[in-house]
Amino acid sequence: MRLRQLTGLGVAAVSVAALAACGSDDGGVPVVNLYGGASDVGFDKIIAACNKEADGRYRIVGNLLPSDADGQREQFVRRLAAHDDSLDLLGMDVTWTAEFAEAGWIREITGEQATAATEDTLDPPIQTAMWDDKLYGIPKHTNVQLLWYRKSLVPDPPTTWDGVIERAKQLKSEGKPYVVAFTGAQYEGYVVGFNTVLSSLGGTLVNDDSTQVTVDDATVQALTILEQLADSGVASASLSNSQEPEVFAQLQNGEAAFAINWPYVLSSMREADPEIAKDLGFARLPEFADGKESRATLGGMNYAISSYSKHPDEAYDAAMCLRSPEHQLQTALEAGNPPVARSVYEDGEFQKAYPMYQVMLDELETAVPRPVTPLYQNISTIVSTTLSPPSGIRPEQTAEKLESSIQDAIDGKGILP
Amino acid sequence: MSTVAPPPTDAVDPLEQDDEAVAIARQRASEGRRAERRLGLMLCAPAVVVMLAVAAYPILYALWLSLFRADLRTPDENEFVGLSNYVTVLSSPIWWQAFGITMFITVIGAAAELVLGMLLALVMHRTLIGRGLVRTSALVPYAIVTVVAAFSWRFAWTQGIGWLAGDSAPLTDRWPSIWIIILAEVWKTVPFMALLLMAGLALVPEDLLKAASMDGASAWQRFWRVTVPLIKPSILVALLFRTLDAFRIFDNIFVLTNGANGTSSVSMLAYNNLIKGLSLGIGSTMAVLIFITTAIIAFVFVRLFGAAAPGGSEKR
Amino acid sequence: MSAVTVTPQRRIGWGVVNAVVLLYAFVPVVWIISLSLKGDDTLNDGSYLPMNPTGEAYSQIFGNSDFLRALVNSIGICVIATAVALVLATMAAYAIARLEFPGKRAIVATSLLISMFPQIALVTPLFKIETAIGIFDTWPGLILPYITFALPLGIYTLSAFFREIPWELEKAAQMDGATPYQAFRRVIAPLALPGVFTTAILVFIACWNDFLFAISLTSTNAARTVPAAMSYFTGATTFEKPTAAIAAAAVVITIPIVLFVLFFQRRIVAGLTSGAVKG
Repeated sequence: MRLRQLTGLGVAAVSVAALAACGSDDGGVPVVNLYGGASDVGFDKIIAACNKEADGRYRIVGNLLPSDADGQREQFVRRLAAHDDSLDLLGMDVTWTAEFAEAGWIREITGEQATAATEDTLDPPIQTAMWDDKLYGIPKHTNVQLLWYRKSLVPDPPTTWDGVIERAKQLKSEGKPYVVAFTGAQYEGYVVGFNTVLSSLGGTLVNDDSTQVTVDDATVQALTILEQLADSGVASASLSNSQEPEVFAQLQNGEAAFAINWPYVLSSMREADPEIAKDLGFARLPEFADGKESRATLGGMNYAISSYSKHPDEAYDAAMCLRSPEHQLQTALEAGNPPVARSVYEDGEFQKAYPMYQVMLDELETAVPRPVTPLYQNISTIVSTTLSPPSGIRPEQTAEKLESSIQDAIDGKGILP
Repeated sequence: MSTVAPPPTDAVDPLEQDDEAVAIARQRASEGRRAERRLGLMLCAPAVVVMLAVAAYPILYALWLSLFRADLRTPDENEFVGLSNYVTVLSSPIWWQAFGITMFITVIGAAAELVLGMLLALVMHRTLIGRGLVRTSALVPYAIVTVVAAFSWRFAWTQGIGWLAGDSAPLTDRWPSIWIIILAEVWKTVPFMALLLMAGLALVPEDLLKAASMDGASAWQRFWRVTVPLIKPSILVALLFRTLDAFRIFDNIFVLTNGANGTSSVSMLAYNNLIKGLSLGIGSTMAVLIFITTAIIAFVFVRLFGAAAPGGSEKR
Repeated sequence: MSAVTVTPQRRIGWGVVNAVVLLYAFVPVVWIISLSLKGDDTLNDGSYLPMNPTGEAYSQIFGNSDFLRALVNSIGICVIATAVALVLATMAAYAIARLEFPGKRAIVATSLLISMFPQIALVTPLFKIETAIGIFDTWPGLILPYITFALPLGIYTLSAFFREIPWELEKAAQMDGATPYQAFRRVIAPLALPGVFTTAILVFIACWNDFLFAISLTSTNAARTVPAAMSYFTGATTFEKPTAAIAAAAVVITIPIVLFVLFFQRRIVAGLTSGAVKG
């Protein structure tokens, strides 16, 4: 399963290689160079289907990008800053919208195009494609984390975070698997986790136009929750070194009773360990403050059109085809990318593959983006560094440090850690 | 070789009395020197041209950018700020913490690599059995792509997943992480040292060691008094290039800890500011500061090794 | 060495020492090989050796035309860069070690300075130059930087090495009636070869393992080398790493280096013996 991808690539590459040399237009057919998401499992078939549907109006060429988000952004930034016209359609991480829009690298999507791009689309994912009240991206897929648990250990999952910790402590005293697995390594996934806790408590990191840091009591409370997790004795010993693969492994090797992780866990666990997969339960992320529903942090990808593209309209049409509900379903089933189209969540086939669809939909309705600001990378780097390791958090002091370093970043002072 | 080489033969015999002959000899010598100069420059020219053509502009550009407040996202808003980027970086505790860690890793790492590299070189040079096997296998660590090697170490040391970790999670603590980073670095680069030192060892004449042995020198004395002085240039080059590389350590830390728990290096800071933060001014400033530090290290080494340095005084 | 009789004790002694060297080199390498042979089910089991080894990762990477293309790029680019760098460095190092000429120290210093500048700060300007003159994403676009950053190490290593060669032998040969070319080829070249091949190995490995330039100065598989291509491997979903495939690729791309070293280490030995005879 994990490797099926590479063969797919092989096939895609054969068709891609011949004309990949930077978007040369052959025989008058405009080439839409797609960067980002083109190497997802099975995506070559979607590209081929869209090329067939386009019937000579355009031809999509899927180009590869590094698999890690930082590597992708690095390529985009370097080439867009050089006004490279061989990028047309960009598959962007949801956190880049403000930065790319503010730099003038991507086109605003307006009028009928904007209407069509947001039709049948869940609202929170649309928010990740907005900057300055303008639409810059076409939502392609989204993501929210869930609470995963072992049904045999936890027959009725707690609905509050305190409940989760209590139950884990109880399991530990009974000598059973107890770990609450959480992505606490110094990286983007930790920022996602922190943002979820903070947003659930009603807090934010920066104000709406990202001119002012907004660290307050909610921040201190959120930091307290992370600190308590680290000190509770029910976190993994590897907490401060855990990214998604480690959190997954902690479930797989029978350490964890609970895990906060993305929906891919289910299908991947079915491949890795069918026994544990059968025992996996899922629930909405717990309430971090009693009575306040949790608010998940949005992941996912939007399509944006490069400002330097020579074929913006064709790129738009290509994007709309690549993310048509039908193709969203296909990529959800094959590559584990949850759809943004409401209608797909009603599809029987989707519901079968994603039995947790209702929980995902509930979370998506109230989900929040990460701070929408052109300086997101800087802020994210500061947050993950300042909050590492989780056991080193001293809520009041750490909040003060966050406040001053984020404000410095906004003012363009100081250095990034 | 100075110990075995015959004294350098001068072009002009100082005992020559015939004035005319002296004049001719002088003329020949000066023609010879001119030809030598020409040949020297011609031989160096291609290398110098390539190096300058590729590297000069980027280096000067980075120096220039370090004097500006520059952001890749807003190329039209560059603002000349003089040395204030340097003040910002040098007054930041973040920089000095990373600097300290980097120095520590460099010093401990390079020292360990020199000792182990010398041992490995001696084994590779002297072993009586399976020499080809040893020489080739010893180079394998250096041949493994750093990022992959680092990832495999990280995996090996992740609690519950890796074979080295068991129930501990060393990569979540500062000092264990630093030692693992050093281990990963040393494991990989000892062969680099060993190979360079072995090439030096190949030039130590056996007769000289035998003669010393007959004079009653112990193995340690032979090594310390005969071998080491003779391979000093190789030691310098190996140590110099390793130290310069070690000070710019990036891949291993990036994969093993990503700089968590105070394990960031100066190169990681430069990466975070330059590539992630897109702050060309601050990032270039850090690059220049790393450059200056390595230049100082190189200068100290070349001084310490004196005439053994390439381009150092010629006739020994 | 040949004069020393090999007693059984010495043989055992060296056997033990060699075993230590092999353990040092291979314990982590076997772990990487083991990762490449693990499937999804055993990847996270913490066992040093794979329980149910599977060659799936290997058949997948060899079924991936991008990987094969990257392998071809890597071999072509690194062989050319190594060869050119070696020729240029040998010429320069000979001059630096043997001849007196103005600007020598400046050349030595400049080359060292170039090798000292953090390459990460050079990538963006290099990218700009290469796009401007049209060699971005081509073989020359990688070969040129590789030569440039291999030259300082090459010049230093070789000139340190050349200084130790007993050049008097060359004069002696010439006095015996050999032409300068013959003196060079018969006397000096055999002595110099160990250093040249050592440098060749180091330069080749540096080029082979480079990631920074490979990822920044390419955009398609026209010039993308293996370390860069490996970072394009994707897992089944965004959050999974194709650990086995990456490990398999690392194993595969180490093999050419081992062959390269095997080939050249024989030359090092050859140079050594002839040196010992003449010296």
